[in-house]
Amino acid sequence: MLMRKTLVLLAAAAAVSGCTDAFDKTRDQHAGDGSSSHLSNMTAGIWVDPQGCEHWIIDDGLEGYADLRRTPDGKPVCNSNLPRNVATGPFKSGSTFADPL
Amino acid sequence: MLTYKFDKAIALAAAAAAALSIAAAPASAQSGQRTIKGERYVPTIWVDPDGCEHWVMDDGAEGFMTPHVTPDGKPVCRRGNICGVVPADQFFATDKHHINAAGRQRLGEFFQQAKSNGARAFVIAGHTDSRASDEYNIRLSERRAHAVAQAGRSVGARISDVRAYGERDPRVPNTSAGNMAQNRRVEIYCLR
Repeated sequence: MLMRKTLVLLAAAAAVSGCTDAFDKTRDQHAGDGSSSHLSNMTAGIWVDPQGCEHWIIDDGLEGYADLRRTPDGKPVCNSNLPRNVATGPFKSGSTFADPL
Repeated sequence: MLTYKFDKAIALAAAAAAALSIAAAPASAQSGQRTIKGERYVPTIWVDPDGCEHWVMDDGAEGFMTPHVTPDGKPVCRRGNICGVVPADQFFATDKHHINAAGRQRLGEFFQQAKSNGARAFVIAGHTDSRASDEYNIRLSERRAHAVAQAGRSVGARISDVRAYGERDPRVPNTSAGNMAQNRRVEIYCLR
């Protein structure tokens, strides 16, 4: 019961987020997936694109994040020995959601 | 005079309102004042397993991420030193790319150590100082980078790329003999 109330409150807060800037965008806002930790704590896996370049991939509950992996010279990390179109590693650790995929 | 002051007070109040709540800022601004309509998006920093920073924001239902880079496009990282820097003077003769047996042995040990620390693959990048022509330096750095890559492959290291920068990406300005020596190098990036 209490949990449902919290969910409703959070949903209401999300509904008004468009017109206020009171929201802290540096935290996971999620009602429902059980996580609301700071975004700096997310754990990434590696996804390899169809060309063989590596990207960090994070499934943080309802959100997903991905960003290019780069070497210190700014170039992408390509010719990966990991399989193409596959994500590997602990990238779903931020989620308590039952992901259909 | 009084009206002027009054206008100014309104402008100030409007500016304050804009700062507090951008969405509520009036569309018609006082003359000479710009009103920017927007929503405040303050990111935090997520550090990837390589130690490099990314801007990240959670907007409620969406999440956004984009790399934190310097103006020249290099990632901003906290990893401290590059995994391996091969000082050219210790491994190569002037203008040469041959590595002697002792040098190959040292490099082989480095690659094996890095592999046992979890490196899955390596990227090799060659650099020179600014003497001689740009074209010559690109070729020299490429030959040296390939020599280091070969030393890695000989102990079973997976080399995913070999890059040649010549004199185009100095570590320090080429203003002294000491600095030039620092710029003559082959960098090894370890990929976990």
